[in-house]
Amino acid sequence: MIWLIRLTALRLRQEVLEWSGAWWFLLTLVVQAVLGPLIGLFVWSAIFPTNPYVTKYYVALMLVTLMTESFEQYTFAERIYDGTIGHELLRPQPVVVGVIGTNIAIRIWLTVMGAPVVVLAEIALQVPFSWSAVVLALPALVIAAALTFLWTLALSLSAFWTERVHAIVGFGSYVSTLLGGTIAPLAFLPEPWRAIGKVLPFYAMLGLPAEIATGRVHGVAIVTGNAYQLGWVAALTVLSISLWRLGVRRYTVVGG
Amino acid sequence: MSLRRTLAFRANLFFDVVLALIGVGAALTSVLVVFTQTNSLVGWSRAEAFVLIGTFQLLTGLKGTFIDPNLSWFPENAVRNGKLDTYLLQPAPSLFLASLAMSSPLALLQSWLGLAVVGVGISEYGHLPSLSGFLAWLVLLAVGLVITWTLGVLFACLAFWAPRLQLDVFYGSAWQLARYPVAIYRRPLRLLLTYVFPMALIATQPAGALLHGLRPMVMVGSVAGAAGSALLALICWRLGLRRYTGATS
Repeated sequence: MIWLIRLTALRLRQEVLEWSGAWWFLLTLVVQAVLGPLIGLFVWSAIFPTNPYVTKYYVALMLVTLMTESFEQYTFAERIYDGTIGHELLRPQPVVVGVIGTNIAIRIWLTVMGAPVVVLAEIALQVPFSWSAVVLALPALVIAAALTFLWTLALSLSAFWTERVHAIVGFGSYVSTLLGGTIAPLAFLPEPWRAIGKVLPFYAMLGLPAEIATGRVHGVAIVTGNAYQLGWVAALTVLSISLWRLGVRRYTVVGG
Repeated sequence: MSLRRTLAFRANLFFDVVLALIGVGAALTSVLVVFTQTNSLVGWSRAEAFVLIGTFQLLTGLKGTFIDPNLSWFPENAVRNGKLDTYLLQPAPSLFLASLAMSSPLALLQSWLGLAVVGVGISEYGHLPSLSGFLAWLVLLAVGLVITWTLGVLFACLAFWAPRLQLDVFYGSAWQLARYPVAIYRRPLRLLLTYVFPMALIATQPAGALLHGLRPMVMVGSVAGAAGSALLALICWRLGLRRYTGATS
């Protein structure tokens, strides 16, 4: 187990250094990540101008989005398409080590570049956060990060079967923004969708950490929320592993 | 040519059609969710919001068809790999070729769906637009298209000075700001979006013209702005070309 962690850490270091060269591209990714919650903030604070919760929620959501962004359809699925995944398959380590390393490296850069924007927004919009709520939101945030990775990975594994992985991941990410709390906080969705959203994993990926950080979800609800997140982590892990095993079996590329 | 290439693979075609439908569905759902909580978004009713979204989808489809493929192709292939030479050697204006040569016709489906959404919005609104309003809408759509093309060319021209800079992701994100009425943004951003990066011209102004009729000052200002920005694009292109040295030039 230790060697897996060390390998991932080594890969992480390598990817962080590699991505440091593309800082301008990472900036455009920061803009892309921040813009969804920002537009939501403008829309909902235009509808409810006297409600400070909306602004606070979306500022928290900006940081959550930055820290959980996943691009496996580009970093992983593209390598399945052009065959370079063969290099990874030949190594005596699980392929997912590389994928996790790249994912966390990009997130680290996005967070480092985007955190000042979030802090600026917090100060400019005058929505102070309480430290206790933020600390309580951290476990939820870590699990949400794992969950978003697993969801994007599971969708990207469809690259073994179809050429249109970008469409599939795009659809998945759209559903995630709708039912997870970016287009509207879950409390504002109409009834059947709110109940559906509470059950599906998207709220666990986005809305739940943000709502814990704003203080709206507190006490026992945080623990039940974390348990529900962990349940989805287990489900998506099983799904990803099965899809990977099925996909690799039917994959052929030059060299193997 | 692009159309034939697209139609060649039926499964991919099916996926792309579904994607276009989902794109429009996504935009509509966002509006619908907003209107379950309120009857008016900064003064726009639900019917008016449908017209806005329909207009936005119309221009998004046109942008996706004619402008996006070229914008993402340009910095990497044309400037860094020198393929711009193929356009420079041909007898047509190179700006026209570089910015409009490639197209992905399937994105036009979004435009048709956007038109249908505008129709739904008008029928829910109750009164038909006046002839002057309709003409103003068409003119402002053309203006919006010119502005979209200009911004695309300006972003692509940056590649002449900073070849590694690729701003198509940024353009796509900034484009989303036009999805809602510009009035939701706070003052400094609203001014930026009306006069500097005129995203307001993409959906808010045309939809406003269609619903509430022609406003001469807006029309004159928009057309002048479009002409000015097209000129700016042309100048930047010429300046950039002077810096470009490929295999044959």
